[in-house]
Amino acid sequence: MATDRTAEVTWSGSLLEGSGTIDRVGSGAFGPLAVSWPARAEDQGDKTSPEELIAAAWASCYSMALSHGLAGEGHAPERLSTSVTVSFQPGTGITRGAITVRGSVPGLDEAGFQAAAEAAKSGCPVSKALAGVPEVTLDAALG
Amino acid sequence: MPRIVREAEATWEGSVARGSGTLSAASSGAFVSLPVTLASRVADPEGRTSPEELLAAAHAGCFITSLGSELARAGMAPASMTARCTITMDEVEGQGHQIVASAVVATASVEAAEDDAFDSAVAAADAGCPFSSLLRRAGADVSVKATREGGT
Repeated sequence: MATDRTAEVTWSGSLLEGSGTIDRVGSGAFGPLAVSWPARAEDQGDKTSPEELIAAAWASCYSMALSHGLAGEGHAPERLSTSVTVSFQPGTGITRGAITVRGSVPGLDEAGFQAAAEAAKSGCPVSKALAGVPEVTLDAALG
Repeated sequence: MPRIVREAEATWEGSVARGSGTLSAASSGAFVSLPVTLASRVADPEGRTSPEELLAAAHAGCFITSLGSELARAGMAPASMTARCTITMDEVEGQGHQIVASAVVATASVEAAEDDAFDSAVAAADAGCPFSSLLRRAGADVSVKATREGGT
C-alpha cells in the first residue's frame, strides 16, 4: 500500500535576508520550525535545514532497515544508535553522506553485524532515493 | 564556499514491527527525540513522524528557497511564498519499498509578472533544487506546480 507524507513551508522576503518556517507536517510531530539561508549555508544556530532533515530521514530509515535485516536473521537488536552527516555544497548539491552505527545485538559477531549494516546501507528506501549522492560511507561496529 | 555539514541521530530498540525509535536534529537541536515507529511510516502516523515526512519537509524547504532565488533573479522578488510537498512511498515489485513520487505545490506572492517569465522561474527553481534532481535520478516521479498570487 502506498503511503503519503506531507509537509508545508512558508517563506517571506529574499533568500539571503528573508526567512521561512516549516509550518506543519501531516503527523503534527513537529513544527513550526524556523529555516533560513544562513542556517542552511553558514552558521545554523538553532535552525534546521533541508540537509539536516535529510540526515534525520536517512538515520531513521537506516535504523529501521538494519533492525529488519538483523531480525530476519534471528538477531533482533536490543539497541541501534545511528548518526548520519550530510555534506552540502551550494551550487552542487549533496556531495556526501556518512552513516555511523553502533549496535547492541545479542548473539551476533562483528562480521555478522558488518554484513547486515552494509546490506541496510543500500536497501533502505531513503538510501535508494539518495543513490545519486557521489560518496556514501559506513562506519559500523558492535558496542 | 565551504562545504556545509549537517548531522542527525536516530536510535532504535527491538524489531521493526514491535520496536520503536527516536530521532534528533544533532546539528541544530531544532527537534529532539521525536518518536518513530513502523506504523508511523506505513500506517496511521498518530502524531509520530517518519523518514518520508522528513523528506517531504526537506524537499519543500529546498524548493521554496530555490523558487525565491529564481524569482528574485528574474526581477519578481516574492513578498511571500508557500510550498506543500507530499512524498509517496510504495512497494515496487522486486525492489521493495521505494520513494516513488514527490509532489510540490507552491504559491508565490509577486507584483506584476508575465506568466511566461513566472513559469520559467518555476522551472529553473525545480532544476536548481538539488533534492529534486536526486529524487528524479532515483526514478521518483517529481512534480512541481506553482501559481502566483497578488499583483497583476
